[in-house]
Amino acid sequence: MTPHPAPVDAWLLPPDIPRPTTFEHTAAGTVTLRYPKSDHHLAHSLITALRDSRTNLATLATADLIDLLGCVGERFSRTIDDAAIAEIAANSGLTRPMTREVVTGMAASWTSEALDRLVRAEFPDPRVLDGFVTEGDRAVRAAAPGVTLHFGAGSVPGVTVTSLLRALLVKSPVLVKPGAGDAALTTRFALELHRADPRIEAALAVLYWPGGAPAWQTWERELLTRADQVVVYGGDDTIESLRSRTPASTRLIEHPHRIGAAIVNPVAAPGAAAAAARAVSLFDQKGCVSTHLVLLLGDRSEARRWCERLAEHLRRFAATHPAAPLSPGESSALHQLRGRLAMRAAAAEDLGIWSPAETGWTVALAPADQFEPTGGRTAWVVPVSDHGACLQILAPLSPVLQTVGLAGVHDDDRESLAEALFTVGATRIVPLDEVPFPHSDWLHDGSRPLGELVRWSEVRSPGERDVGQESVGVFSTGS
Amino acid sequence: MQPILKELAGVFRGWDAVSVPGAAAGAAALTDDAAFNDLAMRVHSAQRAAVPVLRRFWKAAPGGPPAVWHEIPPVPTAAFKDIAIVSGAPEVVFRTSGTTGGDGVRGEHHVPCLDLYRAAARANYRRHLMNGLTRLQTLSLIPGPGDVPDSSLSTMAGLIAAEPEVSDTVWAFHPVDGVNLGAVRCALATAEPVLLLTTAFALVHLLDAMGREPVRFPEGSRMMETGGFKGRAAEVDRITLYERAECILGIPRPFIVNEYGMTELLSQAYDGVAGSAPPLPARVHRFPPWVRTRALDPATLAPLPPGEPGLLAHFDLANAGSVCHILTEDLGHTTEDGGLCLMGRARGATPRGCSLAVESFLRATGSAQ
Repeated sequence: MTPHPAPVDAWLLPPDIPRPTTFEHTAAGTVTLRYPKSDHHLAHSLITALRDSRTNLATLATADLIDLLGCVGERFSRTIDDAAIAEIAANSGLTRPMTREVVTGMAASWTSEALDRLVRAEFPDPRVLDGFVTEGDRAVRAAAPGVTLHFGAGSVPGVTVTSLLRALLVKSPVLVKPGAGDAALTTRFALELHRADPRIEAALAVLYWPGGAPAWQTWERELLTRADQVVVYGGDDTIESLRSRTPASTRLIEHPHRIGAAIVNPVAAPGAAAAAARAVSLFDQKGCVSTHLVLLLGDRSEARRWCERLAEHLRRFAATHPAAPLSPGESSALHQLRGRLAMRAAAAEDLGIWSPAETGWTVALAPADQFEPTGGRTAWVVPVSDHGACLQILAPLSPVLQTVGLAGVHDDDRESLAEALFTVGATRIVPLDEVPFPHSDWLHDGSRPLGELVRWSEVRSPGERDVGQESVGVFSTGS
Repeated sequence: MQPILKELAGVFRGWDAVSVPGAAAGAAALTDDAAFNDLAMRVHSAQRAAVPVLRRFWKAAPGGPPAVWHEIPPVPTAAFKDIAIVSGAPEVVFRTSGTTGGDGVRGEHHVPCLDLYRAAARANYRRHLMNGLTRLQTLSLIPGPGDVPDSSLSTMAGLIAAEPEVSDTVWAFHPVDGVNLGAVRCALATAEPVLLLTTAFALVHLLDAMGREPVRFPEGSRMMETGGFKGRAAEVDRITLYERAECILGIPRPFIVNEYGMTELLSQAYDGVAGSAPPLPARVHRFPPWVRTRALDPATLAPLPPGEPGLLAHFDLANAGSVCHILTEDLGHTTEDGGLCLMGRARGATPRGCSLAVESFLRATGSAQ
């Protein structure tokens, strides 16, 4: 990948905040990120300004807000050029074809239509986000508690944009710390939002900093103390660290890392190998939705044939969407895995490995009890006799399981299988070819993505107990 | 297989010129690439014949029959977790600490000829640690072989303790109880030089405990520190660690050497000779001449030239009873003169996106012990 010469600004502040004059730099992918130095005065003034912006932000009716945000999302995906893709790719570490595929796929949930679907899925009457709305013998209203502080994770472009849009949809001013590998896209998108409306401009800040670094402890303490809610995407260490430092009065919304699995009936779904290859390969298997484990209904010989097909599709996909170079640690883990399985195969176990000489992708036909999410586009395929066997294998993964992609599951079995998968922790059960890009209104990690950001309020009037469906009268029902 | 194991043990013993004067030629000859290759290929043939699982492993690997030692496909250290790779019945089984890879499964190195291990280790530690001392005590913060009989490191500590020059040995670390400070102080009531054997983990504990009451090791004392790259100790700043050791224990830094070893390898590398070890930034680990190390491109496993960091693969003739060519998870680079600069363990990448890392997966699903 060609080094990206100019530093990428990983910050964007509301207009009333004094421009920072001193900066730090850090490498992310092959770009250098530039961001303001830690300054607790900046932290203080930033949160204050965001809090002050809330009143103006609230004047945007939800319907208008959806249009405004959606228009930006649509224009962004329509106009993003090769230079922007190159910068985002260089920042994330993904290859350019993969970056374009990911950004395009993610942007499908940033359109007006998608945002409207999200809002309506969670608020059948979206006007509750604008003011009290009659609901039976009471009036209800939903709003974010105040300023949302968002900690993004890692290197999957678009995750942070999706999250900041959710905050803005519930009219929460938001300070976003993108993951180091997601800073370029987040800052670009935020700039488009700033240009779209001054009320958004005042309510949205992007700022990268090295999370948890000693020099940023005071900064983080200031933000965690003054924000009203904190959304964190991250690994165990990040989440545990923020848990320990976030005041009890501040809502902490956690999205830990997850893994995905698939259940495939190869006879009923002859095209499933292609879909599985895509589900394994997209995001270079670094997405929480990414498929790592494939449970294949069939015997061992059938599984071998299917693995060969899967390997062929992984090879083809890699030809059009090459994998980014792995870190030495990731490569080492893959070599260890391949060698370990090869030795087991040599010891007469019925295992199979398909892979190129380099670390671009791997298919392992191996027992479930040895499964590890090694990454690097590795599909761990386990032949199973029936759905019951699938559940036995998935049950231990319950604490970390998120998406289960289905292919070839008979319609009559779908409901009972879904019920069983729910009991073992799956929060998203979708057709295998839909695995990579969730709908905008998906139940993210088992939560409603807007619902988890708002606080509800109800108003009841004296003498109105059990009065039925009439309006309580004195409250606006919004526009 | 036994004849070649015995032959190798003889060659290794020859390297210990101190205990076997004039018999160093055999091992020293292995610095010659052709001589090393001849012996390596003989061992390879013997392993192919004696270890069916290796024969099948190599047959299934890409590439034709190897013409030189470095064409022999290396076996990853993770393979030691599943399969007993051994020629014949083992005399001893060494086990890893259980932390490698985080899955709680311990690697096992089945050793059919303990004498070969003894010869390899002894020749090396005598050169680097004892270095002509005729009388010394050992103080071990490595658990004794009685406490951890399946630890190769404890076994080596036991071998050192049994050396004729060692007048007494104090075992001052227990796997459960940790450092026994009373035993440490008792051990220092001597005028003889003390050889302190310790992991970085135990050394940090000792220094923390001794910090308020520094002690002075007798003149000529020295230290072998190990475990910085594998084991329970977190990576430590060795410069700071050695400075503290010199300040608190009175062992000068040139007398502190680091040993690099692993359960899967029966030979060890040292970064200096106690008493004349160079300053830390200039130190380079060196194996004995019966080991060759290469740094490999992490993606392709193609060999890298000296100076370029990669995954380390070692070919250790002391592993003749199991498998010689080992692919490690360690990062480092070689030097023009055959040395080795270690850079730590190749860990999973950060950032990884929002998909789960193996370590977290194992912790969350209860697979890690």
